[in-house]
Amino acid sequence: MNVNNITTINTTYRMFSAFTDKIESDAKFTFSVSDNLTSKSFETSAGSKILEGYRPPFDSTTIRRMKDVGGFLMGKTNMDEFGFGTFSVNSAFGIPRNPFDIERSCGGPSGGSACAAAVFDHVSLGTSIMCPASFCGVYGLSPSYGRVSRYGLIDCGNSFDRIGILSFKASALREYLPIIVGKDVHDPTSMIQPDLKLGGKKMCAVAVPKQIIDNKKVSKGVIESFNRSIESLKSIGIDVEYVDIPTLEYSVSVYSIIATSEASTDLARYCGMRCGPQDGDYTLKFDDYFTSFRSQYFGDEAKKRILLGTLIRMAGYVDKYYNKALRVRESIIADYKRQFERFDAIITPTMPFISPKFDDVSKMSTLDSYKSEFLTATPIVTGMPHLSVTCGYSEGMPIGLMFTSDHWNENVLVDMAERWDCSFDVKHAEVNA
Amino acid sequence: MKIGLEIHVQLPTKSKMFCSCPTTGTETVNTHICPGCLGLPGSRPSLNKKALELGLTIAKKLKCTIPETTWFSRKTYFYPDLCKHFQITQHDTPIGFDGVFYLGKKPIRIARVLLEEDPGKIKRVGNGSSLIDYNRSGIPLTEIVTEPDLSSPSEAREFLSELLTEIKSTIGLTDSGERNIRCDCNISVGSERCEVKNVTGLKNVETCLKYEAVRQTKLIKSGGKIERETRHFDEAKRVTTSARKKEFEADYGYIGEPDLGIYHVANMAKSIELCESPLIMIDRFQKEYGIDEKIAKQIVNTSIELAKLFEKIAKITDVDTAQTWIMGTISANWKSFEKNFEKYDDIVTIISKFYKGDTTDTQCNLELKTLMTGVSAEKAASISADLDTIINKIIEDNPSFLIDYRRNEKAFNWIVGIIMKQTRGKYSSENIISAAKKLIEERL
Repeated sequence: MNVNNITTINTTYRMFSAFTDKIESDAKFTFSVSDNLTSKSFETSAGSKILEGYRPPFDSTTIRRMKDVGGFLMGKTNMDEFGFGTFSVNSAFGIPRNPFDIERSCGGPSGGSACAAAVFDHVSLGTSIMCPASFCGVYGLSPSYGRVSRYGLIDCGNSFDRIGILSFKASALREYLPIIVGKDVHDPTSMIQPDLKLGGKKMCAVAVPKQIIDNKKVSKGVIESFNRSIESLKSIGIDVEYVDIPTLEYSVSVYSIIATSEASTDLARYCGMRCGPQDGDYTLKFDDYFTSFRSQYFGDEAKKRILLGTLIRMAGYVDKYYNKALRVRESIIADYKRQFERFDAIITPTMPFISPKFDDVSKMSTLDSYKSEFLTATPIVTGMPHLSVTCGYSEGMPIGLMFTSDHWNENVLVDMAERWDCSFDVKHAEVNA
Repeated sequence: MKIGLEIHVQLPTKSKMFCSCPTTGTETVNTHICPGCLGLPGSRPSLNKKALELGLTIAKKLKCTIPETTWFSRKTYFYPDLCKHFQITQHDTPIGFDGVFYLGKKPIRIARVLLEEDPGKIKRVGNGSSLIDYNRSGIPLTEIVTEPDLSSPSEAREFLSELLTEIKSTIGLTDSGERNIRCDCNISVGSERCEVKNVTGLKNVETCLKYEAVRQTKLIKSGGKIERETRHFDEAKRVTTSARKKEFEADYGYIGEPDLGIYHVANMAKSIELCESPLIMIDRFQKEYGIDEKIAKQIVNTSIELAKLFEKIAKITDVDTAQTWIMGTISANWKSFEKNFEKYDDIVTIISKFYKGDTTDTQCNLELKTLMTGVSAEKAASISADLDTIINKIIEDNPSFLIDYRRNEKAFNWIVGIIMKQTRGKYSSENIISAAKKLIEERL
């Protein structure tokens, strides 16, 4: 892709919140990141008005590691405010449009990154990338929780957040994963990881949770594609077995409860002091100033999650919801772990439907939108690595197939992506610029 | 009357609790800060192991039960000095609980000991405006919470004072800055209690508790009812004022801190060795050597090293000899000697020579002085000779002095003052006093 066209392309697809077309001549490669990764060279707002104009004094570890090996950060991509959303429509700086049909969503929260990965010939990094990978027809790899340092990642839900890789090329996963992983003293949760070893073990047997197939929530087109991919997997010598994982259905609830609780504390710091706009009425008492400022600048979805998360943390609710969710989370992890005694991965469709039109997104209720993540919620809740590959097309839109492997076993996923790429014809979106 | 205290003590670490900013004081505001202790988006805490170690040492000292594992929590509230608007503290798993501290023979139960970060400092500049200095943001604190076992304001003060002496020696906190101690005081004279927040210093704790005790007693006597509430102490007016009713108490909405892990502290605590505390040492000295409480306190409070030296000398000679020399020449020259710990055993040798009768009192004294001040025996002798000359001259220059002195011995202080002024600190006051006494007595 000719980088001189960036401005024109961005007018059509709106993937970037900020970008540069002055690529350094000695750059070995270009990349983009979702706007929740702090960068010295661009303002960082995480899709929120409350951080508009904020220029961080430090690069996130991931960006630093990419730059250290010669990467050039070309732009920051549009996303749902702080990562709160499934369709990237909760963005304060432009809603990215799907490269296969600009009337449709790129998925969220890192929609801009998937869009950039599909349109430009480069790798893009973002958080919660499964849905965008599926909707934009690119490979998406989300490593184990704690694999990639979160230093410099603006929080959405601390115990879930992970930075993953999006690329049209399967080979990019093997190329870039080793660059961004590794211990970082600035993020204690990254310090217990074993070394990443690519190669070695290959995927031989996968499990399909019965609950997914019996579920009426998955659209017909997606189920058909999914069933065809099971046949494709068998044809390349992989055993496929149906299993029962009853705790699956609680993942969305567990995620919503814990993530909103964490988010409601993370977002407490945004109050019109220290960073972001500071143009409130200074004659107000401090708490009135904070309230007026937060009311003015937070988007609706952020407010919704702050209210929900704060309620959950209050006395009388914390045991009923938060502490219970922590215990259920352990059961879900145990259930998945048990499967990995016999299987190398668990497979499901990535999303239950193809990318919806913006009109349809606006008609969806909050609950429907939360529920649409019921397939991606489990790997997020368990902290296990997962991969989305394109496994078919319906109405011209890509459909994603998701593999989840055991903690720290990214190697089987990286290998799987390459094998899949050899046997399946992944289509490039036709870019109009 | 029931009093319980929540005591906050700054831990003597080099860097802050969750980032690498220095903890040392600086004149310039907002210089010891980074994205971490400013709570900038994307920053993360990373625990200073030393803070954990010091906290565990205190918990162990207070005979607390140490849990197998511990973790941190977020305590959420909105205040401009708290940059993340949540404080990283401990809620479900303090590093120590169910401890005890003996005030004399009375046990004061310790409910829990926990670790937390300090917020920044607010400076009110008038006009309803404030400025904030974040240098303090993220300084490690330990919070010690007692059960309501204290029964009077003076007892509370005594407890605080002894507790702090113990803690300071345990964790090597040299700064005696009382202002660094902040206390939340809970007090009830009837059935309901009030909490006075953020009282600084021992004296203020006692004053505020006394005020509260009187206020609550008067209120009950006049038929009023104590309501559970949080109060503030006004240092200038020495009164407490109502801050908010307890029923509206903030719900801090604690959740676990997801950015920090679970710490396995039981083994860490086991490996920590506690040194003998001053209080225990003073007590032991009285029992073991039969010396006076006052003398035991003076030796131990001067320096733990001096106390250890006392024990060594007492072992080789006897308690009386050890006490005489420790309280006399050795104490007098301790300041100049303190850096020469390698010469420790030489002191013991000198005194044992005297004890065996190999040297005289004067010789021993001279040898000790030479060793401890690093000044040779001849020079020490000549210095003292010089001193004698100066004193004689002053006495002769002031003929009225001896007359005054005969009338009132207090005139001695006057002449000592003059000698000190003239010699400008060349001689220790002990030396001046003993030399002057000797020379004056000769003339009477």
